Amino acid sequence: MEEIVLRKEVQTWLEVVGTADLLVGIPSFNNAGTIGHVVRAVQAGLAKYFPDCKAVLVNSDGGSSDGTRDVVENSVIDDFQQILISQRAPSFFKTATMYSGIPGKGSAFRTIFEIADALQVKACAVVDSDLRSITPEWIELLLKPVYEGGFDYVAPLYHRHKFDGTITNSIIYPLTRALYGRSVRQPIGGDFGFSGRLASHYLGQDVWESDVARFGIDIWMTTTALAGDFRVCQSFLGAKIHDAKDPGADLSAMLFQVVSATFDMMETYHDFWSKIEGTTKVPTFGFEYAVGLEPVSVNLERMVERFSLGVQELVDIWKIFLPPETIDFLCEASRQKGDDFRFPDEVWVTIIYYFALAQHNRTLAKEHLLKSLTPLYIGKVASFVMEMRDSSSVEVEERLASLCHEFEKQKPLLLEKWL
Amino acid sequence: MEFVQRLFIDPFNRFLDNLLLFLPNFLTAVVILFAGFLIGALLKMFFGRLLRAVGIDGLCERTGMNQLLCKSGIKDPLSLLLAKIIGGVTVAVFALIAVQTISVPAVERLLERFFLYLPNVFVALIILVVGYLLSNFLSRAALIASVNAGVRFSGLVGRFVRYVILIMSVTMALEHLGIGSETVIIAFTIVFSGVVLAFAIAFGFGGRDAARDYLERKLKGSENDDADEITHL
Repeated sequence: MEEIVLRKEVQTWLEVVGTADLLVGIPSFNNAGTIGHVVRAVQAGLAKYFPDCKAVLVNSDGGSSDGTRDVVENSVIDDFQQILISQRAPSFFKTATMYSGIPGKGSAFRTIFEIADALQVKACAVVDSDLRSITPEWIELLLKPVYEGGFDYVAPLYHRHKFDGTITNSIIYPLTRALYGRSVRQPIGGDFGFSGRLASHYLGQDVWESDVARFGIDIWMTTTALAGDFRVCQSFLGAKIHDAKDPGADLSAMLFQVVSATFDMMETYHDFWSKIEGTTKVPTFGFEYAVGLEPVSVNLERMVERFSLGVQELVDIWKIFLPPETIDFLCEASRQKGDDFRFPDEVWVTIIYYFALAQHNRTLAKEHLLKSLTPLYIGKVASFVMEMRDSSSVEVEERLASLCHEFEKQKPLLLEKWL
Repeated sequence: MEFVQRLFIDPFNRFLDNLLLFLPNFLTAVVILFAGFLIGALLKMFFGRLLRAVGIDGLCERTGMNQLLCKSGIKDPLSLLLAKIIGGVTVAVFALIAVQTISVPAVERLLERFFLYLPNVFVALIILVVGYLLSNFLSRAALIASVNAGVRFSGLVGRFVRYVILIMSVTMALEHLGIGSETVIIAFTIVFSGVVLAFAIAFGFGGRDAARDYLERKLKGSENDDADEITHL
């Protein structure tokens, strides 16, 4: 096992706890306003659904200055009877510690994995620290498939607005499904369950000085589980409502981080995905129900303008690695206006695969390459919204299934050109 | 007879003495030069293979160096070009040693000044190459960033960054070569300051309404905010 990089007080705490059955980890950075609710939901979930188990809660913090760790330590459920729990969990331990390593969610998870490994935990879960919609049931849904069902990895399944999660819907989900052959609907959901065996496997990988530690941990965890000898499932958690991210957050930076991490995984697991054909469903747990969601407004005109601007200014860059017929289509599409604008799935999938090939061949600097994808992504989203604006969520899922089939259909092209 | 002795025979004898002193040095110089050509050819072959093996031609393709070389009329790949330069430098070094062996003072002084100036030329070339690569990289970064920010004149932004860096590189290279260094720097300063001042006046007067609207939106928010509400992740 790699050298443990835990702080002295945590090592002392580990000696006191000894071993545990369950662990729930919460990474955080300046989340004092929301983490209290998450901690109480976790404690209630453990008490309600695992009353006979020894459980720990670990807050892995990035050096918050707003008192996040103090909120964790002080958050307790005062009255279990109020939430209809007749008994407290016999053993519940809690610690809030700062992680070491490169700043990022991955380093926070590494600390959680280390503690899970040290305590020889059987089942673990990680949840975001800004969740407002978390309930005690989430803990059951993330831990029970592992603790009792024998699964190694539980991905989340959320009920989202049909136009939310567009990076996931248009790139990450269909690409991961086509490459690794399993239909995990939310591969970068952020809330996961996993076994102690898988946590030890994660810990043994040499990724903690790379982009995985900074921003690629979610897709890395999912891909590692899919490509390894691990049983994967997903659990329906309902709506995911969390703090709105900074509205100034750069879309191109977000897209770069997520897509570059996904493409990096393709390099690591090429031997695995090159042999996969077709897709199998993963077992799904939880009672699916419809949730009322707030409508989402979209400025389609501006999105189409951004797409056209991108084609006008960046086409010379794309000509270096995209096929001529794709370039011709983009130039033609940039002249379409209003409701006539369409971005077919066939062209979109070709573009994603050629971008993956361009990163593989190091045709351009990685950041330039993937940030130049932004106008194309915006165009695809605009086309999708125009096409599906009057459709139900079920019809949108069917439409996404069709996109997934296109990714699978063009996979031989990717394999042929991947040298 | 004494007249003939002093006018012809003595000078001729001195010439023969000098020639006999010079010839061994000359022959030595020829041998050194020949050795220089041979070693230069061997080094050119060795470094050509080594640079191809480490993949410098691929790196050249990705960074845009190939475009620069093609525009300069150089068809050879970078690995071959560098190998030729190394071979040429080797020959030049041996040539210098050969000339010093001959011991002709005037030639020695001229060569000394030439070789003392050569490092300035190399540094200037490096400044130009680095400037070109940097201009490519930063102009592309500026172009992509401004397109993603929705700036309509993104192409202009990219070209502006490219030309500013190129002009700065040329200025630095000329300064290093000592070619009208003060004149070039002053001219560059005047032009660059003029461009910046022109932009400031244009945006300051012409864009003040737009600036006011932008600040109002940022500080107060807008009732009719038409931003997208899509959560992309």
